[in-house]
Amino acid sequence: MRKPWALGLLVPALAVLTLFLVIPLVNLLVTSFHAYSSTQGVTSRWTIENYTRFLFDRFYLEVLARTLRVGLETTALCVVMGYPVALFLQQTRGAARNWLTLLLLSPLLVSMVIRAYGWVIILGRNGPVPLYTEGAIIIGLVHVSLAYMVLPILASLEQIDPSVLRAAANLGATPFTTFRRVTLPLTFPGLLAGCVIVFSLSVSAFVTPSILGGTRVKLLSTYIYDQVVSLLNWPYGSAIGFVLIAVSTISLLIFSRVLRRSHTDVVLG
Amino acid sequence: MMRTLHRTYVALIYVFLIAPIAVVMLASLTTTSFVTFPPRGLTLAWYAAIFAHPEFVNSLILSLVVGAGTAVVAGTFGTLAAVAIVRERVAGAGLWLALLSSPLVIPTVVLGIALLQWYTIIALPAGVVPLVIGHTVLALPYVVRLVCAGLAGIDPALERAAAGLGATPLQRLRRVTLPLIAPSVIAGGLFAFITSFDDLTVALFVVSTNVMTLPVRIYNYMQFNYDPLITSVSTVMIVLSIALVIIVERVIGVGRLFGKAAAR
Repeated sequence: MRKPWALGLLVPALAVLTLFLVIPLVNLLVTSFHAYSSTQGVTSRWTIENYTRFLFDRFYLEVLARTLRVGLETTALCVVMGYPVALFLQQTRGAARNWLTLLLLSPLLVSMVIRAYGWVIILGRNGPVPLYTEGAIIIGLVHVSLAYMVLPILASLEQIDPSVLRAAANLGATPFTTFRRVTLPLTFPGLLAGCVIVFSLSVSAFVTPSILGGTRVKLLSTYIYDQVVSLLNWPYGSAIGFVLIAVSTISLLIFSRVLRRSHTDVVLG
Repeated sequence: MMRTLHRTYVALIYVFLIAPIAVVMLASLTTTSFVTFPPRGLTLAWYAAIFAHPEFVNSLILSLVVGAGTAVVAGTFGTLAAVAIVRERVAGAGLWLALLSSPLVIPTVVLGIALLQWYTIIALPAGVVPLVIGHTVLALPYVVRLVCAGLAGIDPALERAAAGLGATPLQRLRRVTLPLIAPSVIAGGLFAFITSFDDLTVALFVVSTNVMTLPVRIYNYMQFNYDPLITSVSTVMIVLSIALVIIVERVIGVGRLFGKAAAR
């Protein structure tokens, strides 16, 4: 049944996204293919050097590698910390569970600027992880993204039929074997979803790396900010912006493929 | 044994989650002129000090106005779009949903510089409007998903019954569908408000020295100052966010808000 008037309901939302997301991004893409001169700013000459430049720029390649490393380490830590929390929540019943879920989600209500500042106070006390290091950024990012790892894992734990676990136990599997051979493979979709969300949040995060990395440790997002705001090199800054979009999209594709393959391995092996 | 180990591990992770927030709130009580933890002495002087800095009060008011504006605009536009996709089954629903979710995959720092450039081109001066627009782009995906989830949970027979009894599409939307999905719409609006209230990155590019949201004000202040004013302002912000959620929870129930909202 055709309902042309229903399309009208989509118009306001799509208009906002077209006028203030799509067109501005296309404009920025055009800028990224223009040359920059320190005296004239953005010139009218077309070039691809903003994109080829990074192949020869050692500093830039280091920033790129660091961004990916921080993203991977944050994701790994979120798995190690988030999975046990999801298991615990699933095994807990009643009011305790509601409170623990609320407590897990409550940091999301607090501004990221404030949470990063809390870590500035804690890490500024010269503990094992000093401020303005990769470690400080990772701690801040894990704090920001942990809930996004726990929730999808919890959702797939909830979907496991308890009789499957009883069957494993009846067939003589120890609790650990049941976990490794039954629970873990069955929760892979949730784990995968959590990894994808956390990784993409971490590589594109700005607030946390800016406050906890300071001027010393730069990631792609804070490097873009410096290029545009401090150096006014719009073409190079926007080119790195599109590299960041490409990097997070490509790594997400690889990520999900690798995880899907290891998923089949677990099931078959 | 395993159970105790598991319990302790989870307890430590919860300490990790609460620590930075608790530290900021406790540090605001210090009598020292610099931030220190644990706080030395006990005073509310840093809360009184907020009123000696009218720029923080102005920024708080601006943030509340922009957050409310974002909740209304993103809430309305997102709800209409979700109704079109789930209820009216417009052609290409999957494509529209993907498009409406696209802001999620654009790093906010890239959105920020793209908007800065675009606002300069169209000569839109800094103010409430450009901030609300930027935050609406950020919040739309959440509203659309929340309301889509809410719509999926109601019985389509109710709407068919309304149509069968002679209700026009508009009457049906206003008298049947909207009241049924009100909790998801409110949750969507709340998410939009929080997204806006929390945003630093987009606002950082869009604000001016006169029009500055609270997160940007705090961020700029902490670059050059190390007095506890930041911690008292932050505590006020934390308390406001929590109060808002408690009020909404009283109205629609926490299970609905968190159970559905955050899982998607």
